[in-house]
Amino acid sequence: MSSDFHLVAYLTGIVIISLFVNMGVSLYGMFARPSLIKKLIALTILSDTANVFAILVGYRRWPPGSIVKPPVLTELPPTPERVARFVSTAVDPLPQALVLTAIVIGLAVIIFLAVIIMQIYRTYGTTDVRLISKMRGERR
Amino acid sequence: MKYERALIAVAIVVFILVLSYAVTLGAMGSTLPPRDLRLLAKLYLWLAINPWTRNLTVMSPEAVTSIVWDFRGLDTFFETAVLYLAIIGTVAIYRGVYASSKSREGPISEDEVGMSPIAKSVTKITLPIVIAVAVAIALHGHLTPGGGFQGGSTAAVILLLVLVVFSLQYSIRMGITKGSTLALRSAGLLGIAVTSILVLILGLLVGCQSFIFQNQPKAYAPVGVPAFLDGMLVSGTLILFNIFECLAVAAGLTLTFILVLTHEEEIRSVMKGDRHE
Repeated sequence: MSSDFHLVAYLTGIVIISLFVNMGVSLYGMFARPSLIKKLIALTILSDTANVFAILVGYRRWPPGSIVKPPVLTELPPTPERVARFVSTAVDPLPQALVLTAIVIGLAVIIFLAVIIMQIYRTYGTTDVRLISKMRGERR
Repeated sequence: MKYERALIAVAIVVFILVLSYAVTLGAMGSTLPPRDLRLLAKLYLWLAINPWTRNLTVMSPEAVTSIVWDFRGLDTFFETAVLYLAIIGTVAIYRGVYASSKSREGPISEDEVGMSPIAKSVTKITLPIVIAVAVAIALHGHLTPGGGFQGGSTAAVILLLVLVVFSLQYSIRMGITKGSTLALRSAGLLGIAVTSILVLILGLLVGCQSFIFQNQPKAYAPVGVPAFLDGMLVSGTLILFNIFECLAVAAGLTLTFILVLTHEEEIRSVMKGDRHE
């Protein structure tokens, strides 16, 4: 029992800390890379990491004698016993619902940013923020 | 410049280490995922499909979809608004670009433009299959994981493939234009708006109290959309929301793909101010 506890705690810690590392890598990409395209790629990594983190918050440990199920009742028609078992085995559905909309909005926002970056490239002939800031709005 | 980059790297490493140390001290609440859920999550699971508490249930076995379109319907409504504002922003950047002026007059044969016949044949075979999967994901949104967003994204992917493989020029001749996708997207958005006040209109007609984003009959608001249609579970407004959302997402994303794929010379001519329309 105690060795199981330590193993699960260790693995959970690794998952959480690897998400932090992922976040750090994407923040470095956003701050340090001069190209707008690379900043955009780093932003997508950051948003995906945040989504995975939200899903992780809704996770639950396996109750004894059963395994964790997605929040979908697979047996129809429902009976009170089936619904009670469903509540006792399913994971938290709320983070999943929030992440679902966040992903699609992220997709639209990424398309919007990509279009803006394309427009910046057409105007200035570069996506390097250091060069763009020196141009001060003058077209190339 | 070099020092600046090193400073950023050191700052981020410190950030990761501080967060990791906080986790080992128990910043996530416990070192293990909890064995039990919060009361709120339990209530959502309990009320997703529960014919014995008809005043509170959504009548959908999919707890995520019931949260997305019923319990937190207004959240999703405004998040959908954000999605469409991003698409409207894209369209506004490309104002004046119609993605068609470069194509010459007269009919274009399929073989003239686009990729090789192999790619075209494969796309022709996969197009109906992927569209069928997308429609199935959207229509089963209230029963299985999936829904309007996912179905619409699936359909948008195969439409992007059609735009790339058959060339934008040929696709526009076939009717996938900026105008038609904008119209479909607006129709889907209008459908979502109407579905959100459907029960309100019903309540006004019958003459009893009702709410926006109401699905099943509630206490003191005894009107609702039927959960069963001819013995089939449709979960009231959820299936309507999923259908319209699928339509709107597929058309909206295809619209942005058309704009992104537009011929470079045409966009540059618009940017230089050669054409004013």
